[in-house]
Amino acid sequence: MKIRKKISLGFVILSIMLAVAGVFSIYELMEVGTSVQNLLDDNYNSINAGKQMIEALEKEDSGLMLLLSGQWKEGRETIRDADRQFQQALQTAGTNLTIPGEPDLVDRIRIRYMDFSRLWDRPIVGTDFEGNLKWYSTDVHSAFKDVKEAVQELIDLNDRVMYETATDLKSGAHRAVMPGIIAFASALVFTFIFNFFLQIYIVRPIITIIDGIQRFLETNKPVRVTIDTRDELQDLATSVSDLMYMARISK
Amino acid sequence: MRPQIILRYVGIVLLFNALFLLISASISAVNSDSGLFPLLYSAVVTAMLGVFPLIFVPPTEHIFNDEGLTIVISGWILSSVIGALPYIMWGGPFTITNAWFESVSGFTTTGSSILANIEALPLGLLFWRSTTHWIGGIGIVVFMLAVVPATGQSAMVLYKSEISSLAADNFQHRTKKTLQILLVVYVGLTVLETIFLMLAGMNGFDALTHSFSTIATGGFSTKNSSIAFFNSPAIESVIIVFMILSGIHFGLIFVAVTDKPIRLWKSSIVRYYLCALAVGILLITFNIYGDIYETVSGALRFAAFQVVSLATSTGFANADSSYWPGFSKLVLIFFTLQCACAGSTSGGIKVDRTLIFWKSFIRQFRKLRHPKAVVSIRLDGAVIDPGIIEAGLLYIALYLIVVFISSLILTGMGVDLMSAFSGSAAAMGNVGPGFGMVSSLSNFSEIPAMGKWVLSIVMLLGRLEIFGLLMLIFYRFIR
Repeated sequence: MKIRKKISLGFVILSIMLAVAGVFSIYELMEVGTSVQNLLDDNYNSINAGKQMIEALEKEDSGLMLLLSGQWKEGRETIRDADRQFQQALQTAGTNLTIPGEPDLVDRIRIRYMDFSRLWDRPIVGTDFEGNLKWYSTDVHSAFKDVKEAVQELIDLNDRVMYETATDLKSGAHRAVMPGIIAFASALVFTFIFNFFLQIYIVRPIITIIDGIQRFLETNKPVRVTIDTRDELQDLATSVSDLMYMARISK
Repeated sequence: MRPQIILRYVGIVLLFNALFLLISASISAVNSDSGLFPLLYSAVVTAMLGVFPLIFVPPTEHIFNDEGLTIVISGWILSSVIGALPYIMWGGPFTITNAWFESVSGFTTTGSSILANIEALPLGLLFWRSTTHWIGGIGIVVFMLAVVPATGQSAMVLYKSEISSLAADNFQHRTKKTLQILLVVYVGLTVLETIFLMLAGMNGFDALTHSFSTIATGGFSTKNSSIAFFNSPAIESVIIVFMILSGIHFGLIFVAVTDKPIRLWKSSIVRYYLCALAVGILLITFNIYGDIYETVSGALRFAAFQVVSLATSTGFANADSSYWPGFSKLVLIFFTLQCACAGSTSGGIKVDRTLIFWKSFIRQFRKLRHPKAVVSIRLDGAVIDPGIIEAGLLYIALYLIVVFISSLILTGMGVDLMSAFSGSAAAMGNVGPGFGMVSSLSNFSEIPAMGKWVLSIVMLLGRLEIFGLLMLIFYRFIR
């Protein structure tokens, strides 16, 4: 192999290692970016919707207490606002179904909420239900708890998946950094070996040829310069040996 | 010593590793798992580092003995470094220490793992893990020589540097023929076991990876609970048969298959090996029958598997033997130290040396009775050279010293005595599991980081049969 080819190939190898490291790092970083976006889109929105639903449920519960105490206007207003808030949050959660099991949970929330809303949809003030704490503690509170539990399950599911995604993100970041570190370490090793080969297969043969010529000049006897590099330097050494031999004959 | 020649051959070893990394990466690619980029990038880096010396260094006909030894040892160490790259890049439980430990354990066919949840690994990495066993089982350089056609004397020097001195003497062929026999037996056994495991109910991937581990007498499984996961007597039976075969000198298996099967039984080493296994299985069966297993068949099933697994230095498990009585544990520790025959993929002191030890013991008795008698030691009718006997006994002594020192260091780090001693013996014998916190269904994750480095060195010492690594370390002093 020619010297130029050897040295070029050395640099080509180094370039490939660094280029591949760069490509892998970029790919992994893009993956990390996508994961962050998914984390926000899929999980954070659902968790937020879940929190909104729980807040709305608490308000509805307060509205019911107002109705039980005979405050019709304040009670109905509170419940109407809270219902609007709950429906909006439920719609957000319903359009953001990205995790296995999430659709079933949203359906369960919808059904349980319907059961709960049937309880406060009926007239309360001025009926037997007004001031009826027994009805509240047996029917209303258990329905309220059922909805809340279903919403909490939705939050927990998204929390768990968010944790898993975050762990994957950590691994992704690790994978993005590692090719660079390995490429750096490999390039260092490579540089040492490259330097060693240049010394053995380029510098040392040149010194051997120079020594041969020097000896010829000092002793006027042809010297056989032997080099085993199988490239132009070996050809040069053979030519120098022949030249010395011919110079000796011509004298 | 010519460093450039060493770099050339180590480069070929690296290229060989790169090929298997690429195969593992392709499995990850097919499975679309997270192991793809770590494996692919490791393959690229390994290939680049391997191909570079080939550009500059021309091939050579002659390699000196010390160069051969350095190539072999550097090949093992660099393969372990390269083998750790995909683990380090993948992350998870793999710190640098853990990745190095897993890689050394793979290549030396020890089979000890730091992984608490093996099944969480992507398929590509699981395949690479088993592949390290398969490459290391036959010996990295021997594998390379068998596949890559090397010319002239260099193949012989490398082969002699790699293979166990006892095994090398037992092969009666030229280097090229010996390498062919090794490869044919190795690949043949792997293919056969894969087919039988699939017939017994394993899927293709598990069958192939477990065959890699069995034939290399490694012990890495793709399941957290090792072979116990399958809970299948058929699968266990297949693995037992192939573990026993992998513990026999490959040259003898070749002769038995191609010529006369009786030659196998005519070898006193094989006879001793099989009889020792039978005695061990019977002793443990009776010891665990009753208190631990209610039926004799149940006790026999678990005793047979555990004894064969440890006595061949494989390390698979179908039960947690750390709950067995002390007697059974001691019998298993004996097999952990002794292991199987030279010329196989097994580690440990080896049956050949144990037999030489017992015969030397008997000779000493005879000499006490007849002090002036010339008593020679014979194996299969042939007189054994006193040099081989001396080297064998010295090896046993050194082996036990290394196990003792390693146990001492581990106990100094706070590891309990049973775990430290059995872990060290298992690492030195390339067996895998020990007892206590490193038992057959447990792992080495609780061992301190420094302890893992110590055990890695012990694994390499055991795989290179002590002298190789020591000669390289103390090269200048010995010279």
